[in-house]
Amino acid sequence: MVSIPKIYSGVTEYRLRPGGALHTTDSYLKFATGREGVSKNLISMFDSMPMSKPIVIFIRRGDAFSSGLGMTTAYLASPHAVRLCEIDGTHPDNELYRINPDKVAAVVLCRLNRPSWLPAGKVFGPGLEIVSIGEKG
Amino acid sequence: MNAIGLFGAFATLFAAGYGLLVLLIHRSARLSLAEQIAFSWLFGTGAVSLLLWAFGFFADGLLLQGLVSFVCISLGMVGWNLKKPSQTRSKARWFEVVLTPVIAIEIAIVFYLSFVHTLGWDGLLNWEIKARYAFANGGVLPAAYFSDTGRAFSHPEYPLAIPFTELWLYLWLGEPNQFCAKTIFPAFYVAGTFLVAAFTARLSRRTWLGLLMAALLFFVPQITVEVGCASAGYADFPLSVFYLAAAGCLFCASERGNDVFFRLYAACLALLPWVKRDGLILWIVAAACGVFVILWRRKSPLSLVAFLPGIVIICAWRLYLNAMHALQAVDFLPFNLETFRTHVDRATPLLSALLAEFCNLPTWSLFWFIVAVAFLYALPRMRDPGVVALLLALIAPIVLYLSLYLFSSWPNYLDHVGLSISRLLMQVTPVGFLLIALAISRRPERRPQRVQMPNRATCAIARSERTAVVELA
Repeated sequence: MVSIPKIYSGVTEYRLRPGGALHTTDSYLKFATGREGVSKNLISMFDSMPMSKPIVIFIRRGDAFSSGLGMTTAYLASPHAVRLCEIDGTHPDNELYRINPDKVAAVVLCRLNRPSWLPAGKVFGPGLEIVSIGEKG
Repeated sequence: MNAIGLFGAFATLFAAGYGLLVLLIHRSARLSLAEQIAFSWLFGTGAVSLLLWAFGFFADGLLLQGLVSFVCISLGMVGWNLKKPSQTRSKARWFEVVLTPVIAIEIAIVFYLSFVHTLGWDGLLNWEIKARYAFANGGVLPAAYFSDTGRAFSHPEYPLAIPFTELWLYLWLGEPNQFCAKTIFPAFYVAGTFLVAAFTARLSRRTWLGLLMAALLFFVPQITVEVGCASAGYADFPLSVFYLAAAGCLFCASERGNDVFFRLYAACLALLPWVKRDGLILWIVAAACGVFVILWRRKSPLSLVAFLPGIVIICAWRLYLNAMHALQAVDFLPFNLETFRTHVDRATPLLSALLAEFCNLPTWSLFWFIVAVAFLYALPRMRDPGVVALLLALIAPIVLYLSLYLFSSWPNYLDHVGLSISRLLMQVTPVGFLLIALAISRRPERRPQRVQMPNRATCAIARSERTAVVELA
């Protein structure tokens, strides 16, 4: 009896929806960016980048949303190698200065501000921006 | 197309598991249909994931899938040829007739829950990620994954039973599919429910009690709807089912001459460290219980061979991780006396946290209160080695898990506790149900004509009993 209300609310909280191959990541990314079907776009984008170069993902220290977004992006970026960089604050300018653009395929900003000197990337909602550094030849 | 792929994957999993089960029981025991289904699922997932990993050293792609399928089908055929006729059933009581559809509805709800929810965080980023990456690499985890610092968050060092069962589905589906991957988790719930029903019926001699315990499993929110629940895609609930199988089989094996259940115990024991890293602790506890039963019952020293498969799996996985230069988790400080001495002051807050968790009604309902009462009821039966083993199997992992937090490297170790303790406790929850059943069945059966050995609970007795859910007929 004690647990019935909790279980009832757990069962009735969500409705059955058609599930796709990227069902979970789409849900996570919709929650973070507000957009539908982002996973497929991310995979296509990463596929268009040179596989030999890593993806650098910037996340904000102490921000669980940023960190979750970064890890989900890292999950989808395979088979690229990824580097997760945790920074304090919302401006990764110093860290970006240290990056050699010839050795990186893309920079991903998770709930962080892109410096004005960095070319605009593809924006997926308010929290996710991917700046492609070198396209596949 | 997905349905055909899923059917193929599940059919081969069950075939492999059934073949192994029949080889283990070797014509010497009759199991109910529910037990056969549950053990077939557990052994099937264990065997297929191990085969995918082992064959992956020299094969990949279609060849890998073909080889593993061949072994699964061969095992299934061997099992079919050696199978024994089903048990005869007598008429079910009205209470059992009522409980059977209740359990069926609960199972349907767990399937429903697994489809309306996404994979949980760990379900995706600790477990499914490995299946996905292995699929993209022809069924073999890329060597680079193990040392990829950017993906260290996904714990490359975790064992592969769950991800490679998902991989098996992907190989049959022809694509990685996060939605279909979730189907394996309600299957573990089904196995857990059937085993709770079957073991309770065996140790209590009451079918209705088995069905009641199986039905009550659903009413523990941690198992049904909480974070890390049975449908979330985490490894904790599957691990709890393997542990239940090991503990239940050991209880049955504590009777003289019941070697069949000892072999089943050995098989379930071996798979514990293959399901989750924490499974190593459960393996140590279950193995210690096994040694206790061997000594108490003066079983042959050859019984110690039962521990060999688990040791082989533990060592092989450790060697593999070393060879791959796998990154190690940083959640814990070095396990040594110095760390223990400097962190022993955490003991009191940890005990408080544990007690608070036991009293957490939204997560556990009344489960731990009932377990506490059952514990008191079980104490007078400590002369029975099966009861001692069951109590140890319940309490020792809790003590060991709590001790682990002394070595937590988290800045606030109580955050570490808060995030994981409910899932760790869930790993022993089904065993708690067996203890409750033991307490309820303490009084002798009133109708001795149905009992072959009236002085003690016995697993042999249940061979002649019907198990309504369990027979599923």
